[in-house]
Amino acid sequence: MNTLKTLVESIWDQVDMVLGWHPGYDPLRPVPAFVRDRKDIASLIWNPLCAPNLSVYLAKSFKTPAHGEKKIGILAKGCDSRSLTALIQEGLVDRHRLLIIGLPCPGTVDPEAVKSARTQSGPITGVSFGDGWVELMCSDGVERLPLDQVLARRCQRCRHPHPVLYDVLLEDAMPRPVPKDPFAHVLALEEQPLEARRAFWLKELERCLRCYACRNACPLCVCQDQCLAESRTPKWVTQKDTVADKFLFHMIHTLHLAGRCTECGECERVCPMKIPIGLLKEKTAQIAMELWNYESGTDPVARPPLLSYDASVTGL
Amino acid sequence: MRNEALTLTNQSKSSLRIIGFLCNWCSYGGADTAGVCRFRQPPLLRIIRIPCTGRLDPMFVVKALVQGADGVLVSGCHPKDCHYAVGNFYARRRLELVGRFLPFIGIDPRRFRYTWVSASEGQRWQQVVTEFSALITELGANPGLGDHVEGFFRKESSRQT
Repeated sequence: MNTLKTLVESIWDQVDMVLGWHPGYDPLRPVPAFVRDRKDIASLIWNPLCAPNLSVYLAKSFKTPAHGEKKIGILAKGCDSRSLTALIQEGLVDRHRLLIIGLPCPGTVDPEAVKSARTQSGPITGVSFGDGWVELMCSDGVERLPLDQVLARRCQRCRHPHPVLYDVLLEDAMPRPVPKDPFAHVLALEEQPLEARRAFWLKELERCLRCYACRNACPLCVCQDQCLAESRTPKWVTQKDTVADKFLFHMIHTLHLAGRCTECGECERVCPMKIPIGLLKEKTAQIAMELWNYESGTDPVARPPLLSYDASVTGL
Repeated sequence: MRNEALTLTNQSKSSLRIIGFLCNWCSYGGADTAGVCRFRQPPLLRIIRIPCTGRLDPMFVVKALVQGADGVLVSGCHPKDCHYAVGNFYARRRLELVGRFLPFIGIDPRRFRYTWVSASEGQRWQQVVTEFSALITELGANPGLGDHVEGFFRKESSRQT
């Protein structure tokens, strides 16, 4: 049975660096790690708290290889592997530069859900995991919570817990079963009348700070140095804090990801105001599925639907 | 100037407005043909000429509707007749997507329509504009995103007064 450490050791000769996670300032929040030194491999961890999607760094920070560079190793959960596939599809990352370490994912834990599910109040000093449960240690003792209760929303609706693209696979966890209706949250909102939906988005987006964390955490938001949200020519959104400007910013993000978004849910996870902006992208993914039977990030050679056309379709 | 134009077309500042994005090569010509032939049309439409429907960013549609335009009409060359060969094939996918996305964010999808009209179809253009204007008149004013919006539609006129 491979452990993460032995697996990374075994591929170390082929790579310059491994992107992974290591413990952060808070036991509930591991942080991204860039392992360039062999002795740091031991610090890498993998558990359901390793939420950050590491593929975000590829197109943004490691786009051009230095001369003679070896590959980049990257740990990828199911959702992360879809993001990687989408980046490869659009030519934003070269497949040959990557050594993908696939991780079948039991679902990631939302620290906020843990906070509300706990009965103890002391600061958490340690976390351990088992089959379907998470155990929290604090000064008041040990508390065991079922994993299902503290999963992030994106993981409850995950269709690809098993990586879709990988070079080596770490087989230590069982992937989460695929839910029956991944678009249940979208459908629930759609059942409401038009006015209620408008009111819902006005109320939710009113809270937006326009901190752009959602954009920065998005693996497919790759034109950040010339983002429309900050451009003054053309000036799409003003510097004012009206809900219309916040709304338009989210429309820019959503429409630029239409037919590309892999539903990794990072935008929603990093939102400091807990706005369910993932729903907007889920809707576009659902439309792409309906119209073109296309699921982003599942086929490295497929062309995204909005970058192609089908001349044989007639009608309007 | 603005007031003069409003008097001439028998409109007031609170009249409904439809923003039309017309491709330079077909629909703009079609609208011109309709004018040259003196086909009677409702006066709600404001035309913005774009080089091709492929130029149309779906954000144009969303921004117009958010800022309180009462309707958005997009029109271009018939598929396979695009001046740039494939511009409207790309546009078609984007337009269909944005049309299905609008109701999700609480914008009435009936306020958005896209169609294909060639330069010779003055009659058809008249029909499209008449039908869409009737629909928009029936739907009434678009609240946009309410009082939060500062756009060039209603707010500008209130600033002048």
